[in-house]
Formats: sequence, C-alpha cells, structure tokens
Amino acid sequence: MELPGLSMAQVLTTPAVAGGAVVVLYLLKLRRRTVTVPFVKLWEQILAEKQTTRLFSQLKRLLSLLVALAIVAGLAFALGDPRYEGATASGRTLVALIDSSASMQATDTESGGRMAAARERVNGLIEGLGPADRLLIAQMDATTTPVSPLSSDPRVLRDALAGVRAEDVAADLGAGLRFALDVLRGQPDPEVVVISDGRIDAPRAIADRITARGVRLSYAVVGEASRNVAITAFSVRRYPLDKSQTEVLVELYNPTDEDEAIELTLLGDGAPLDVQTVTAAAGERTRRFFRNISGADQTLEARISLADGTQDALPVDDRAYARLPERRRARVLAVTPGNLYVSAALLLDEYLDVTEISPAQYAGTDVAGRFDVVVFDSFVPTTPPDAHAIYLYPLVEEGRTEPFAVTGLNPSPFFDRLERHHPLLAFTALRDVNVSESLAIELQEGDRVVAGDDRTPLVVTGSRNGHRMVALTFDLRKSDLPLRVAWPLLLLNSIDYFVAEDAAYVSSYRTGETWHVPVPAGQTSATIVDPDGVERQVPVVEGRAVYAGTRAGFYSVQTGEHEERFAANLGPGEEARIEPVAQLDVEGLIAEEPSVGRAGVRRELWIYLVFFALAILVVEWFTYHRRWTV
Amino acid sequence: MFRWLKGDPRGAAPGKTDPAHARHQDELFDEEFQRRLEYLAIVSRRLYAGRTRAERRSKKTGSGIEFADHRQYAPGDDFRYLDWNVYQRHGRLLLRLFEEEEDLSVYVLIDCSRSMGIGNPPKLDYAKRIGAALSYIALANLDRVSVLSFDDGMSERLSPTRGKNRIFKIFRFLTPLEAEGQTSLADAMRTFVAQNKRRGVAILISDLYDPEGFEDGINQLRYAKFEPYVLQVFDPAEVRPPLHGDVRILDNETGEARDVTITARVLEKYAAAHGAYRKRIEDFCGEKQVPYVSLETTVPFDEAVLHILRRGMMVA
Repeated sequence: MELPGLSMAQVLTTPAVAGGAVVVLYLLKLRRRTVTVPFVKLWEQILAEKQTTRLFSQLKRLLSLLVALAIVAGLAFALGDPRYEGATASGRTLVALIDSSASMQATDTESGGRMAAARERVNGLIEGLGPADRLLIAQMDATTTPVSPLSSDPRVLRDALAGVRAEDVAADLGAGLRFALDVLRGQPDPEVVVISDGRIDAPRAIADRITARGVRLSYAVVGEASRNVAITAFSVRRYPLDKSQTEVLVELYNPTDEDEAIELTLLGDGAPLDVQTVTAAAGERTRRFFRNISGADQTLEARISLADGTQDALPVDDRAYARLPERRRARVLAVTPGNLYVSAALLLDEYLDVTEISPAQYAGTDVAGRFDVVVFDSFVPTTPPDAHAIYLYPLVEEGRTEPFAVTGLNPSPFFDRLERHHPLLAFTALRDVNVSESLAIELQEGDRVVAGDDRTPLVVTGSRNGHRMVALTFDLRKSDLPLRVAWPLLLLNSIDYFVAEDAAYVSSYRTGETWHVPVPAGQTSATIVDPDGVERQVPVVEGRAVYAGTRAGFYSVQTGEHEERFAANLGPGEEARIEPVAQLDVEGLIAEEPSVGRAGVRRELWIYLVFFALAILVVEWFTYHRRWTV
Repeated sequence: MFRWLKGDPRGAAPGKTDPAHARHQDELFDEEFQRRLEYLAIVSRRLYAGRTRAERRSKKTGSGIEFADHRQYAPGDDFRYLDWNVYQRHGRLLLRLFEEEEDLSVYVLIDCSRSMGIGNPPKLDYAKRIGAALSYIALANLDRVSVLSFDDGMSERLSPTRGKNRIFKIFRFLTPLEAEGQTSLADAMRTFVAQNKRRGVAILISDLYDPEGFEDGINQLRYAKFEPYVLQVFDPAEVRPPLHGDVRILDNETGEARDVTITARVLEKYAAAHGAYRKRIEDFCGEKQVPYVSLETTVPFDEAVLHILRRGMMVA
C-alpha cells in the first residue's frame, strides 16, 4: 500500500489531531445538563431498570466513541490517497491520436461509422489501462487538439472521448506525432496510438525522432468498405461580358476500382438547375463544365449520388458549395464627342446605366452622388470629378497637370510590360496590340503603370481628388485595340475595378486552410456563423476576417448590420479515398498493434474510504436517534 | 369588597409593613382574588344551606342537649345524667351522653419545603392562595382558623383566629412564606399534634414529595384525632417534564443527582411513575377515609376550591 496523497507522518498526524478533537467533543458531550427536579425518587424507579444495563450502556458509549474515531481515521486515511502496492510504479504513457479527418465520417462500420469505431477502440484502450498507465486523448485533424489531460481516470477519459468528432478536413499526422512526442517527453514507457483509417499523408522527418526517443508507434485501423465518389473541385465564375450567366466547373473523382455512374445535380439558390449523369472510370478524375448557367443569383451547389440509387460511404464529399459574386448596377457618365468604340463597349454590360453627353455639356454637371464612374474620351475637365474617372487619351494643354502633365508624344509604344494579375487586365490579351503613338506624361505620386513599355506608360491607375482613376495614354482610334476583345474587357474591368465588384471575390474557401474573408472597412472583429449555426467571434486583420474553418457548407460573416455569405468546400487531401489502410508506414517505421496493459482493479481507494466513513456516519446517526448507542 | 377592612387597625400585623411585602401581597392576594373569595364564601353557604353557624358537632361528648350515647355509670358521675328509664326496664345504671357543641378549629397546614418552589406559578404560591381561600370560608362560617407552615418541622404559626375581618392577618402571614428546607411530613405532623391539643380539621396542602413517605405524616394526624384533609398540589411540568437528551437530574431538596437520558419512552415511564405515586396517595387516603384532592396549578384557585367544597370537605 502506498500513499501518494499525504505522507505517512501526515496521515498519522491528521487522525491523531482530529481524534483528539473528537475525544474532547465526546467528553463535552458526556457533560450533562443539570436539571433540578422536585422529587428524584420518582426517577429512581426508571433508573433502576436501566441500572441492569449500565455496563452495556457504557460499552455502547465506548462503541460510539470508537465509531467516531473510525470515521476520522477513515477520512484521514482517504486524504493520503492510498493505492495498492505498485499502483504508482511507472506504467505506460499513452497518447491516443484520433484521426478526425473527413474520411472518418464514413458510415461503413457496424457501429455506426468510423468515428464510432474509433471511440470503441479508444474505450478498449481505457479499459485496458493498467494500474499505473496514463492516457491522453487528442483529436487529430488539420491541427491536433488534446481533449483530455494525461489521466488514468476512466471517467475523465470517457467524458473527453465523447467530445471528439470528425471534421471536414484532412488530418495532419506529422503535427499529431510531433504533439505526441512533446507530451511523451520524459514519460515512462511512451506509446503513440494512432486510431485512423490510414488515409492520411505520411509525415516527413519524424520517424527518426520517434525511434530516437524510444516511443512505440502503434496503429488501430478502423473502417471497412471502400465505395465512394467525390466532388474534388467546384469553381464558379460569371461571364465577364454577361454577368447574368455563370460558368461552373465540377471535378468528380472515383477512387474505387470499378467504374461508377454518378448523377450530378447543380442547384442555384437552392433550386435545381441541371442534372447530368457522369460515368467515372476506376480511379478517374473527370471534369464537367456547366456553361451559360442562369437562374442563380447568390449560391450554387453541386450534389452527387450514385446513379444506381445506393449511398456511398462518405456523404461529406458528395456536396460542394460556391457563392456567386454580387452584381451591382453601375452608373456611368460618358463624356465623349462621339466615339462608337466607347459607346459599343459600354453597351455590352446590361448592368451599366450609361449616360452619354458631349464635352460641352459637361461643364457644370454635378456628378457627385449621381454617377459611379465618369469616362472622359479625349477630353479633360478643368477640375477632376467627384467620382471615379476613366481618361481616354487625356491630352491637356501645357501647364496643366491634371490628371497628368503632358510633355510630348511617344511614337509606336508597345504593351511590353503588363501586370498580368492586376484586375484591370483580367481576361485580356494586350501584348500584340498596335498603337501609333501615346502621350508622354509625368506620373504623379501613387500612380501605377499597369501596362506600357520602357519609354511610356499606356495604362495607368492612380488616385485624383480622392477618387480612383484609370488612364489610357493613347488615342483608341490610333490603335487596333478597339478591334480586339480586350478593349471592352479592359473598359469593363476598369468599371468593375471602381465599383469593387469581384475585387475580393472567392467562390469558395477550402477547409483546413486559414480563410481571409473580406468585411467592410473599419471593422475590428466579425462574427462568423458556420453551417451548423454556431457563431464565433473572429478578429479582422487588414479588412479581412481571419478564420480557420473545418466544416464545408455555406457560412455567413456578420459585421454590425452587414452580412455576407460565403462558401467552403472540403480541403485538399485524399479524403475521397476511404479504403482503410491496414498498415501505417511512417517513413519506413511500421506501426505496431497497440499494447495491452494489465487490467487493474479500481485504484483510488480513497473513494471507498470516504464511503466507509459516510456509511459509519449514517449508522451512527441512525443508532443515535434510535437511542441504541446512548 | 374588603376595602373597608383594610383600614382596620386590628388587621394590621406588626413588622410587616415594608413595600416589597405589600407589593407581593397585592400580587398574590389582589382585589380580584379577594372578590373571588367573597364569591366562594357565598357559594359555600348555598352549598351547605340549613347548617347553622358554630353548630358543628364535635367528637366530644359533654353538656350539649342532643343525645349521643350511653355508658356505664362510674362513681363520681353526675346523677342528673343517669337514664332512669333504662334502669327501670333493665336494672342497669347507664349514663346518658350528649354531644358537646363547640367552635370548629380549622388548621391550614402549608408545606413550605424547597420542592414547593418549583413550577410556574410556584406550587407554594398556589398553596397559599388555596389556603387563604379555605381560611376565608372557614372564617366566614365563624370557625376558628389557624394557619401553619412546615417543612421538616413546624416553621411559622398563626394563632387561631375568628371572624372574616381576620383574613388580612392571614394574608400577611402567608405572604412572606418561602420555599426552603426539606420535607419531613412525619416529623412536622408529630410536632403539630404535640403543639395543638384542640382537635379539629387539619387541611394539609403539600406536594407530598417526602422521601420518607407521606403515610406517616397523615397517620400522625389521624392518630391524634384530627380530621385530616389532604390537598396535593402539583405542576403539570412535573408529570411530563420538558426534557430531552442526556441530563443530570438534581433533587432540589436532598441534592441527590442522577444521570439519565431522556427519551420519549423514558418520559412515558416517568409519567406513569408519577401517576402511580398519586394513585398510591389516593388509595391510602381512600383506605383511611381521609378526603383527598389532587390540584394542578394550572386550574384557577376558585375552581379548585369549589371542587374541594363539592367533594364534601370543610363540612364536618
């Protein structure tokens, strides 16, 4: 018997002191209250009956004292936390890494799913804990999170185990093993038990550390079936020149060994838009495009199912989600002496409200609040407008500096230098555009050349009078740009650039990654509501709410009264391949079967001692009130 | 009602004029008490209507006019009382005896032992009021009343007195009595009968808690030709004391102590023992034809007195 709670001296001192107190209290109890009576002889008759049991009565009183002392001794001994000999000797130290990746949501086991099977395996570990064994349970998904302390208390461990659930992410075994090694540093008989279906990326540069530290790596496999089909990519975009319609890309994956007929359904704003049946060969990734999809304004969702009506084992990868970019009507004022190319390009976007006036009519026109964008064609107003502006060939007299001071002309400029990733140039091909001449201009501070050559800028963006502007330094009519598709794209990209449409558009995020969701300016925190309806307060960094999501589906981000929806899909990884891997190989280190501990009896005797003391207390109370011990 | 008597200089007792005593007397024998006494006196006359004052027959035979018995003539007897008719018929000399009429002496004996100080109100106070009430009734019937206190011997004594207006003298006698000393009924009664040769009614008011037994004391009265009346006074808390748990009981007269754990069962046993003790007294008195009344201090004194009268006491 060992006493890890208090030392033997303390355990002996405690009942000695407390026992002394009990004896004092007992003696005080024996001091009787004196009551004056008129005629004691009447009592003697009753006392005479009791005289015969006097010895027994004294024995009962002594027994009562002994009972009280037994209670004190029991409680004091319980404070010492007595354990059986060897119970505190060094035992195993286990870390159970429960794979909580998306593939663990597969419903292919008799117990109701792989996660349920994993819990059963961990329960087996808990039941098999020896007297000195300790176990820590950790949830291993994109990160590794301990859900229990290093404990040998089955109740604590089972409570913690109940909180483990599979997420819509891939598991990071490397992070899990590193966490386990940190936990097991310096612990006796260390062992890492990975409970998984084996569909996790093998980590690197970890096997040597496991071996060097003498940590036993073991593996408990869960899962049975392998039939599954998945959506592995889902991308959506509006057509640049017809934003009422959408193009959708869906990639389907059949990781099984047999061909599968898959029924693919596309839903827009929750209503079915299209249904296709796709046959995917064994191991094939096949892509399908849905072109000219109309009828969806906010969200798109793809769903797949097996064409034979059966259910595959992993439903979580049978759905994909996307949010469509918001469409806004832009109010455009075109100040032009009459330019067919400009007028025609502006007509291409039905979401533009275009007002066309001549330069002469512009004088005195109040644009502030009435127009989002003003297009100045071969005309430069004396003062910059109170709106975003597009300057086409901004030739100004000498001495004027707005928007640029013109110093001369550059013949035959080329689109040599292009900022391909700038939103102005999205979908455009400008490299072979011919321009006869361009203005030699002096850039102002903050101006940025988006396209041009060494000598002269051709497309410039910047800020004037507190509003953004884009300038083309050449005359459209002295180039072949209007004859190319790039022209209307460039003009419409510029307008979109001003009205911020698409600027931060992401059709969907991927689980397991850190998301940066745009929010209105000036916010320091935002609330993200996940597909399960759970609200989380997240920080806003540089105008974006930062959040690491683990569930696929539609989210919403709320800042004040503003609410924006966004979508998240299953992250990268081989989660679609759900066939269990029988053997876990970590850089050549083959995981073994989990070790089995000595099944011990309940080790915490203090509970029994407390119960013992309580039981005696109850007996004492009962006998006292029944006057058996007094 | 007695106000006019209060100014009577004959009723004043020397040495009893201090304010504390007066106040206590006011409390114990207040106007309400006195009013009830008067009521009791009237009621007692109604109950025993037809009986004339001072006409109680004494046990003595003497010079009365009502024939009582015959006895053999003895030399020296008065010839006038020889029954010649009997001599003529039977040839025997018999003397006619007549009952002698005399004033009845009423002795009110109040137990002032320490045990009488227990109770709420104290039993002694209750005994004083009962004693005063009976004394008044006796005085109202022109009897000669003497009040005495005792514990283990006779303590105080109020000489025999007559007339209603002497009640205040009795009040003043009773008021300063205090509960002290032990009870020894036999010794006290032995002293009493030795000191009082004039026989009469002896009203014994006591709790009868005598460690030596109450029988000897009552027998002393009986043997000395007194007519004992026994009024036992007790407090209801004595029958079922409000005790619980471990206590040490202490006899307030003898100082004897006993340890006892009071439970409901013990209380029941005690109540039974107390009842048995009272039954023993009742049986003894019944056997000896001694009138006995048990009085609980919660019963108003006038009701108690009426009860005593209805039991035939105070009527010889």
